[in-house]
Amino acid sequence: MVTLEKNIKSVKSVLTSEDVLVFEFESENKKRFAVIYADGLIDKNMLGELVIKPLHTAEREASAEEIKKLLASPELKDGNKIKDAIKEISAGNAVLFIDGEKDFFIIGVKMPPMRAVAEPPTQVAVHGPREGFIEDIKINLGLIRKRIKSDKLQVKTITVGKQSETAVSIVYIDGVCPKGLPEKIEKEILQNKIDIIPDSSYVAQFITKKPRSLFKRCGTAEKPDIFCAKVSEGRVGIVVDGSPICLTVPYMLAEDFQTAEDYYITSYRATTLRVLRLLSILVGIFLPAIYIAAQLFKIQIIPFQLLLKISSSVAGLALSPSVEMFLTLFVLEVLNEASIRMPKYVGLALSVVGALVLGDTAVKAGIISTPAIIIIAFSAICLYTVPNNVETTTTLRWLFLIIAGSVGPFGIALFTAYLICYLVTEQTYGVPLVAPFAPLIKGDLYDSMVKANMYTLNTRPEMFKPRNKVRLKKDEN
Amino acid sequence: MKIKVRQICFIMIAYTAVTKLLIYPTALAELCGRDLLFPALINFFIEGLLVWAVSFLCSRTDKTFFELIEGTLGKIGARIIYGLIAAFFMLSVIIPLFEQKLYVHTIFYDTVPTILVFLPIFIFTVYAASKKFENIGRCADICLPVFIAVTAFLFLMAFNEVQWDNLLPVLQTPAASLFRGVSATAFRFMEPCWMLMFMGYFKYKKGDAAKITLSYAAGALIVLIFLAMFYGIYGEISASRTFAISRTSIYFPAIETIGRIDLIMLYVLEVVMLFALAINIQFAVHAIALCTGYGDRRIISLAVNIALLLILVICEHYFHSIQIVFYRWLWIVTVIFAVLVPALSWALKRRKADDK
Repeated sequence: MVTLEKNIKSVKSVLTSEDVLVFEFESENKKRFAVIYADGLIDKNMLGELVIKPLHTAEREASAEEIKKLLASPELKDGNKIKDAIKEISAGNAVLFIDGEKDFFIIGVKMPPMRAVAEPPTQVAVHGPREGFIEDIKINLGLIRKRIKSDKLQVKTITVGKQSETAVSIVYIDGVCPKGLPEKIEKEILQNKIDIIPDSSYVAQFITKKPRSLFKRCGTAEKPDIFCAKVSEGRVGIVVDGSPICLTVPYMLAEDFQTAEDYYITSYRATTLRVLRLLSILVGIFLPAIYIAAQLFKIQIIPFQLLLKISSSVAGLALSPSVEMFLTLFVLEVLNEASIRMPKYVGLALSVVGALVLGDTAVKAGIISTPAIIIIAFSAICLYTVPNNVETTTTLRWLFLIIAGSVGPFGIALFTAYLICYLVTEQTYGVPLVAPFAPLIKGDLYDSMVKANMYTLNTRPEMFKPRNKVRLKKDEN
Repeated sequence: MKIKVRQICFIMIAYTAVTKLLIYPTALAELCGRDLLFPALINFFIEGLLVWAVSFLCSRTDKTFFELIEGTLGKIGARIIYGLIAAFFMLSVIIPLFEQKLYVHTIFYDTVPTILVFLPIFIFTVYAASKKFENIGRCADICLPVFIAVTAFLFLMAFNEVQWDNLLPVLQTPAASLFRGVSATAFRFMEPCWMLMFMGYFKYKKGDAAKITLSYAAGALIVLIFLAMFYGIYGEISASRTFAISRTSIYFPAIETIGRIDLIMLYVLEVVMLFALAINIQFAVHAIALCTGYGDRRIISLAVNIALLLILVICEHYFHSIQIVFYRWLWIVTVIFAVLVPALSWALKRRKADDK
């Protein structure tokens, strides 16, 4: 006969940490039990109500099956191997041992510390839903299920990370998502044996064929409405426990120029905004480079009146135009980085130092010119119109600046051609990165830089090769 | 299939036109004066016919040009011909490469820069030429809308300055000069050879030959419009106006207030020009890969580009002499490869895979 003490000893010999607690109790009829759990990860009230209270009436001779009937927990699993018990306790579940029984019960009373569902900071919407994903996978899957109630919604959960054993759920709609794609993604993820998965960005690298690429290969969604819309188009979604950012694949560059709000406002306004975002990105990347190239190599690009203004501002500057622009951009990047990392109460002081001391004084001291500050500031604002791609666009801005300062305008044209040549070849899971522009997919152009009305977008994007193409059918009757 | 018919059509429109906007108008104006449209028309007509012939041949066979030659002349024969084709493509890049260098030095820089400024082009061409036809097609998908937008913008800016009566009276130039105009500029017409390279790499559907030929005609029309505008603006002094595309728009009234916006457009057009330049190198690499049976295109591309770089550096100051050689003698090579070979391709044994 297996005694309760033996079971507790077996578990505690492995889980030696002090936050793994053992609660021993007995029923009115002297039947002994022990619940083992990791402190801080479970809902103790629920444990009391659903497990401990009902077991008070347990008979001394009651079998495991009879005890199971007494338990009121909706999430209950049997187990008989100590290593399974250890795994479940580590994952945040409680394990109930019964004196004299080898079998035990795993009770799902997990309630890790978490924040409330809130609007994500980078996908703020004036119109439309405001719920955002949080760090808990169950809540996130619940938010998805709340929006897609179809029986076709499939969720497959796998565990990744040797130490963290992080749950990763692959979400897709059966009958819409291309056949074999979820399995392919699952295989790609499971190929990686890593210690811990602190965030979904790790998983994003696993499913990327070229992890060194400057361009990201996974779409991201911080809001369930965006995630569900993407999944319903035929993509596969990936939800990672501990991360408020969910992933979607296949990914194409144009999707970062779209926001959820585009679908909640008129198509005219949405199109205007998308074009505006594209122009902003182009201006953000190219403006500092063209300004430098113009100053150094081809002054005719600058209108004459503006040229006079610029020449009066740069007169007497100690630095060359490219060094001046480099310095200004460097200061901007430092301020940007510091303002994110710095405690909020220091932020105000930083703004004063950044704007007044560094900006105004540097201009007065003749270190940098006003046009350089204006151009860099405007470029920074422009790049943030597409926040999901800021990492890439800021890097590109640096590269173009270096090229413009050394090779000049021809270098800019050359590097642009190189980028086009590179981007048109790249693809993720069979979907070209710059689709629907190259290769040109006529039908999908209506939801790219242009946003057509809902009835025009009655079919799912061709580029994802969805199994069911129709997404909107108007009943004529 | 590696490339789509739509993409071939885009190539025919954008690359056909963009490769003939730099020195071609000046050369024609020098040789034929106000009748510059006629040699261009003759060349476009002949080459258009050959483009149609090769496109139509694609409806009769699903084999590549290499396989067709192989079927008729055997593997060795096919390899020899592809070696010659590779050499021809490399030869055909030399003048455009020099043109590009001069154009870049003139348009992109206020001062005359060193050749070093131009050499990074080889980083691009090495990369681009190592890619396969799928990449050429997708680049064309991006290039065509860019080309149309920029050209329309530049043409509209220049339109007001055109004096159409500069082109009148027509056909006053002697026939010999017109023939010189046709022959001396023949090496700029590579399109039938491009079609030979694309053969077997796209799925032919009924009417595709017409689509491709019409696209070629559209490209030709853009060039003809530009030639007319060019002579309409500059008249008698056209022969001295090299890189006219960069000058025709400068009289636009708004330039004074908004600056040389046309230069930005030209920089954008340069991107299309780079792809058009790279396509011949891509075909050279493709031909060498088939000729040698060596699979690593990156190495072939590197070797081809090093050879071109050496030619460019060694002959840096001899562009005029090279041009004369091409004008006087090497047009015959063009006639062989861009006229005779496409025409003779009909004589090769052809059979669709499912007929075997």
